[in-house]
Amino acid sequence: MSEAGPPRPRIAISVRSGRGFLNLRLNPRRGQALEAAERILGQPMPRAANTFTAGENEVYWLGPDEWLVATGAKRVSALGSELAEALGGFHAAVNDVSGGHVELLVRGADARTVLAKGCTLDLHPREFVPGQCAQTGLGRAAVLLAAGDPSTCTIVVRRSFSGYLRRWLAYAARPRGARLPAL
Amino acid sequence: MAAGQPNRLPHGGRIDRSQPLAFSFDGRAFEGFAGDTLASALMAAGVSLVGRSFKLRRPRGIVGSGAEEPNAIMQIGEGAAAQPNLPATRVELRGGLNARPTRGWPGVRFDIGAVNDFFGRVLGAGFYYKTFMWPRSWWKHYEHAIRKSAGFGQAPDGPDPDRYEHMNAHCDVLVAGGGPAGLMAALAAAKSGARVILADEQNEFGGSLLASAASIDGVPAAEWAASAVAELQGLDDCVLLPSSTVFGYHDHNFLTIAERCAVHPGSSNGEGVRERLWRVRAGQVVLAQGSFERPLVFCNNDRPGVMLASAVSTYIDRYAVLPGRRAVVFTNNDSAYRAAISLAGAGAEVAAIVDSRFGGDGRTGPAGELGARVQALGIPVLAGHVVSDVAGRRRVTGASIARWNGDSWGNVRSTIRMDCDLVAVSGGWSPAVHLHSQAGGRLDWDESRHCFLPAEARQAHFSAGAGNGKWSLRECLADGLRAGADAVSKLGLKPVAVRAPDTDADAGENPIEPLWRVPAARDADRCPRQFIDFQNDTTVADIRLAVREGYRNVEHVKRYTALGFGTDQGKLGNINGMAVLANVLGKAIPEVGTTTFRPAYTPVSFGVCAGESVGELYDPVRTTAIHEWHEAAGAPMETVGQWHRPWYFPRDGEDLHAAVARECLAVRKSLGVMDASTLGKIDACGPDVVEFLERIYTHNVGRMKVGRCAYGVIPGEDGMLMDDGVMARTGEHRFYLTTTTGGAAAVLDWMEKWLQTEWPELEVYLTSLTDHYSTIAAAGPNSRSLLEKLGCDIPLDKESFPFMTTRPAVLAGMRVTLFRVSFSGELAFEINIDSNDALAMWRKIMEAGAEFDITPYGTETMHVLRAEKGFIIAGQDTDGSVTPVDLGMNWLLSKDKDFLGKRSLERPDCLREDRKQWVGLLSQDGRTVLPEGTQLIGDAGKPAAMCGHVTSSYFSACLGHPIALALVAGGQQRKGETIHAALSGRDPLPVRIVSPVFYDPKGQRQHV
Repeated sequence: MSEAGPPRPRIAISVRSGRGFLNLRLNPRRGQALEAAERILGQPMPRAANTFTAGENEVYWLGPDEWLVATGAKRVSALGSELAEALGGFHAAVNDVSGGHVELLVRGADARTVLAKGCTLDLHPREFVPGQCAQTGLGRAAVLLAAGDPSTCTIVVRRSFSGYLRRWLAYAARPRGARLPAL
Repeated sequence: MAAGQPNRLPHGGRIDRSQPLAFSFDGRAFEGFAGDTLASALMAAGVSLVGRSFKLRRPRGIVGSGAEEPNAIMQIGEGAAAQPNLPATRVELRGGLNARPTRGWPGVRFDIGAVNDFFGRVLGAGFYYKTFMWPRSWWKHYEHAIRKSAGFGQAPDGPDPDRYEHMNAHCDVLVAGGGPAGLMAALAAAKSGARVILADEQNEFGGSLLASAASIDGVPAAEWAASAVAELQGLDDCVLLPSSTVFGYHDHNFLTIAERCAVHPGSSNGEGVRERLWRVRAGQVVLAQGSFERPLVFCNNDRPGVMLASAVSTYIDRYAVLPGRRAVVFTNNDSAYRAAISLAGAGAEVAAIVDSRFGGDGRTGPAGELGARVQALGIPVLAGHVVSDVAGRRRVTGASIARWNGDSWGNVRSTIRMDCDLVAVSGGWSPAVHLHSQAGGRLDWDESRHCFLPAEARQAHFSAGAGNGKWSLRECLADGLRAGADAVSKLGLKPVAVRAPDTDADAGENPIEPLWRVPAARDADRCPRQFIDFQNDTTVADIRLAVREGYRNVEHVKRYTALGFGTDQGKLGNINGMAVLANVLGKAIPEVGTTTFRPAYTPVSFGVCAGESVGELYDPVRTTAIHEWHEAAGAPMETVGQWHRPWYFPRDGEDLHAAVARECLAVRKSLGVMDASTLGKIDACGPDVVEFLERIYTHNVGRMKVGRCAYGVIPGEDGMLMDDGVMARTGEHRFYLTTTTGGAAAVLDWMEKWLQTEWPELEVYLTSLTDHYSTIAAAGPNSRSLLEKLGCDIPLDKESFPFMTTRPAVLAGMRVTLFRVSFSGELAFEINIDSNDALAMWRKIMEAGAEFDITPYGTETMHVLRAEKGFIIAGQDTDGSVTPVDLGMNWLLSKDKDFLGKRSLERPDCLREDRKQWVGLLSQDGRTVLPEGTQLIGDAGKPAAMCGHVTSSYFSACLGHPIALALVAGGQQRKGETIHAALSGRDPLPVRIVSPVFYDPKGQRQHV
């Protein structure tokens, strides 16, 4: 295909392979459960709604008593066992959900604009800042969207929706000559 | 003069004469220039007849220059990319454009339907309601004929080939309209640091400035507009959207904008975007959409050549097109004088300005600068006169002018007749209050400006400029600045001081005098037609008829007369219609009020509403981790909720029935394998998990030992079955729950709702594992052999691993959880595995199973197998009105505990013995597969009362005859009875009520 003519949106979409995920539920007001988990994770767990912490793992806030830990696929099993053991004395749930999630990386000057086609949140780099995440809709799929630098976002989507979402992203990123305003 | 463009002025205008564009209209070839609209190009080419009216098929010409145009309604393009019903005033000219008028048969120049105009007296308001309602049974014949002659345009004849998309946007200030007020508001807001979106429906910003002779800050108005746009483009966070119509103002300051992108219909090839829907959440909104000029209501005021005065100016000054050679200007306000000045400047003769005002005060024209300029140009002014009628059919040829005494409903005699080919009219101005009203804002009638003005806002918006009743350019600029600053202050930002530009534009200081209906030589019901709504042929006489017939409310009169029902939504005629109605009712205009303004402001295409959600993106398709294998195997897919599941796996040209028969027999005789990954899966754990599940499920959960599985049902609060599935106790305080495919999300929501809102004291955590685990069901007498062959680290024999138990295991070297459960009634193992490993496991199973002739099977076979065993499918055999008791599941209802819905099951209605109960049915002829949904009747006589319906029905290859499941009144007590199935096109078929378990009723096969 000729590359002449108006430009395509500047965006690159890739799947991060080799990722593992743990779903973690615990009561942060009960004893030292949160601190126990943090000791195993080696990093703070986000306490503020819709934020995440990045360290050896990414820990995303999903709810007042629920987090998603993204880590390496090779590490997930051991990490899950260690967490389960450390939280044994607390009311907590540690589930390996590695098979259930796909992580996508969206990068480029037009990345946020392309995402805005299917996401109702304000993705302006001043409003959706690094360290923020949101469980929201993208196209017609539910996703976890996390803000990196102004030209990068991470998407975690349920596996069964990932085919649809990748097709949606490819479609949204495709048109030439669209007058794409910077958000 | 350009070739073939007799009305093109030799210079001027915002067109590019170096870019001629060929186009066709009504099958004829024409040429225009880049920068033209279809309307201006047609006018330049001398085409004055552009359409036929809806009902009377009267010849019609171009009236306006914007969204208000009622007559020049076009079908643009051909085939699948055709766009029906676009006003020519809103179609940018492009090379090769193919336009046809939407009405006129066989053609616009000769329309057979024009006879309607001569028989027209009987075609008053309500004609169709009155005439074609009797006899009622004939409506279908009438409708056929009426449909053929009615309507606008034609739907495209194939799927839309173009791309559309949505864009969500957030801003501090959305400015709707990029004329003088809008540009000032945007500048004021953007310079103060606000995020601004400025949208204008035209392809160039500037609005009225583009056709204005005034100068601003010492430069021509259009130049000033261009520099304002350039300044906005240089500011951060300012999005400029030309060719974009803000068409909807919804709740919570949510607005929708339709952007027409550069791509032409039919040419996007999936590459560019034809239209984009902007979904904007705005902090504050400035509405600067300008105003619409009103026509005047006189006899034959719809003749081609009668135009809005402002449109005449626009065609001359913006498009360099002269709409007529000899004009009569007819007005009740100052603004039309500018059209007269434009006409004179372009070399046309202005026969007279007929001004209804100043009749009593002996003056010969308006005071002030306008009057002086007209006088200097030598244009005669007939003060205190009106145009009472015009001559000419396909084009105005003359105007009849009468002295006016101020009485709209008396009779006048015309004393002057002037030849002319153009009548430029102005009946005053109506602010475009549409968005303000959509947002719930109130309207106030202004007694001096004679128009509805936006009053207090209900949402966060400000009106500015002509849309706020500011008619002069100086006022518009200042008002826009004020609105922009107000919006910024409301946001808590500090407005940066922006200077109001200076302008030499005149103010137009003589007040308007209302003139809602021009009197004629005969009274309003007998004079030639006086049109109010051009598109729907609504006349003054129609409104009088509606009132005579008892209609009083403006909404009723609107519907009876079709006033404002067209694609233009009455932008031209509505206010005149309401004023005439008020006159006829003897009420004040604000007492009559307006009709409701609803989105969309102008018509919006279906394509842009759909956006990306078409074709494969219409709805998410969820697929399992094994999907690619199913596709490679050629399995047709069945849509289950959003999932695509393999329906059956045809071999060598098999049809559904052959494949399903083969798959069923394979499971019964040897080994089948199914991808059951779509089942909902929930991990439930916590110290109170048993108590929680006891309340949710009907059976005794606490009695389950660790490692045990149980079938459970979930009733709603009404006792009706909501969902079902197998659960396993995986720990002292841990359960693994499965749900139906379609019910997965709803069951998790249901459980979380009770945990979070009703029983927060229960310590239970739920985690969805639906996507994490894939489930492979291996079913059939050889399923154990399969697992043994794959290599399993736990003993699989009946004693070590009995039916309805679960064990973690390593199978074929991979970690799995095995469940000895069966949805087929055969010996079966369900293998739960991390979805990342599922495809590899599936391939190993297929390889190892070859020696047992392993047969993959799909949802259809699963349905047959479970029906043979009398297992329900929630949602197919149940419909929200079926209790577990109706399903014969009394054994599942614990008497030792309470559970949700238990008390509802004691309601008298739930205890009725004649409730529809779930049973099996056998066709007595041994071969008829009853259609699902078939109604059941007791005896074969007619008429017969219905006593139930078929919920599931299949041919059972294993049994060699059809089987059906049904809900039958009192069915559980009627086993052995013969009733009848009512089949269409044949006699009722005798069917026998039997147990729903057709195969292996003692359940021995699954226990081996």
